[in-house]
Amino acid sequence: MKIIGEKINGTRKRVAQAIAERDAEFIKDLAKKQTDAGSTWLDVNAGTHPDKEPDDLTWLIETIQSAVETPLSLDSANPKALQVGIKSVNKTPMINSISGEPERLTNILPIVAEHGCPVVALAMDEKKIPETSEKRFEVITKIITETRAHGIPDSNLYFDPLAMTISTNTKSGMIAFETMRRVRQEYPEAHLTIGLSNISFGLPARSFVNRYFLSLAIEAGLDSAILDPLDREIQAAILATELILGRDAHCLNYIRASRKGIFEKPVE
Amino acid sequence: MSKELIDAITEMREDDAVDITRKLLDAGTDPVQVLDACREAMGIIGKRFETGESFMPELMLAGEILGQISAIVKPRIQQAGESKKLGKVVLGTVQGDIHDIAKDIVGFMLDINGFEVTDLGVDASPDKFVEAVKQTGAKIVGLSGFLTLAFDPMKFTVQALKDAGLTDVKVMIGGGQIDEQIREYTGADAYGKDAMAAVAIAKSWA
Repeated sequence: MKIIGEKINGTRKRVAQAIAERDAEFIKDLAKKQTDAGSTWLDVNAGTHPDKEPDDLTWLIETIQSAVETPLSLDSANPKALQVGIKSVNKTPMINSISGEPERLTNILPIVAEHGCPVVALAMDEKKIPETSEKRFEVITKIITETRAHGIPDSNLYFDPLAMTISTNTKSGMIAFETMRRVRQEYPEAHLTIGLSNISFGLPARSFVNRYFLSLAIEAGLDSAILDPLDREIQAAILATELILGRDAHCLNYIRASRKGIFEKPVE
Repeated sequence: MSKELIDAITEMREDDAVDITRKLLDAGTDPVQVLDACREAMGIIGKRFETGESFMPELMLAGEILGQISAIVKPRIQQAGESKKLGKVVLGTVQGDIHDIAKDIVGFMLDINGFEVTDLGVDASPDKFVEAVKQTGAKIVGLSGFLTLAFDPMKFTVQALKDAGLTDVKVMIGGGQIDEQIREYTGADAYGKDAMAAVAIAKSWA
């Protein structure tokens, strides 16, 4: 299970403040903590106005790279910001994200193809968010046809079937799982990912919904996710789920995690 | 009598609410009184949502119950005995943005607080807003946007309204990371942090 650490996101107030004030120590600390918690990528989202975004993204990238060597996931819908940001990276970054929207494919795929980036691909297009798993899979097929035409290997793709909140549609979880199973079956080289916390928007006690959704999604084929790597309960959910699915040889990961104290309540 | 109806609605008892509505109407209750009870119930639910006591699915269910009751009551209304609307609002998520949940909540709250809401949905171009304002005669426009990419479309929409000569229309904006700086940038008349703020702003302009 690969983790994309989500915490360096300018849409969060405290991070926005750090970006505005150029508080490097705050950002470096978040980068270190997420890396130590086992993130494969660190998501970087400047969350600022398109005019300021390229500079802010560049500053974030340089600051994070001064503290850790973890590969980054450049999170922006603005191709200009991505083009500027990618000049500052030390390692090939993940691009977050493309979708079936023609504009996004046209503007961002060349960057992805040129640099050989892994890329998150959302199962939606200009007709908005498909309501059924069949329609989401159709969009995914549209996207993979494009990426293959650009010479991008399937194994660089991370499809996000979209975790729409259960608040507005109680079938949302099932739609996501059906889409995931289909991708696993038809495009076995491609990966799956999800923006976890969306599933519980508008509900009380969100963390339980997030945790159990993650567990079920892993069974449906999810092999990466954008989430808070510092959340112990989520770490535990991943470990227990992989164990139960027979993916933890000799139960060693689970046992080692237990020794590290991951399952214990932190001392208040 | 209407307390029974109000309780059925606020307690999310869908079938009871519909049964009680029919019973009241068959007993000769003024349909307008039934709608007033609904409005009171919706007000209670709206307040609970704002304080975090109720959640979105309940808000949506309340809307559905209201829809069912309206369908039964409206045919029985002899004259236009409906409470006057405070005003008309054109609402939508701006071009390039498809986030709609918060916009829907704003629309719901404006509606139960006495406004006639025309919801343009998501990814609505400046022209769509101008057309809707011309068609409805609305004096209030609400622009919603979550992405930072929404700020320019908001600005363009405000400008488009001015260019179309609709200078007596007031615009309020809301969504992700909106503040006074963004309000100034877009040229909007006001911004709000949540649905409650939207209602307050709309009422102050009514």
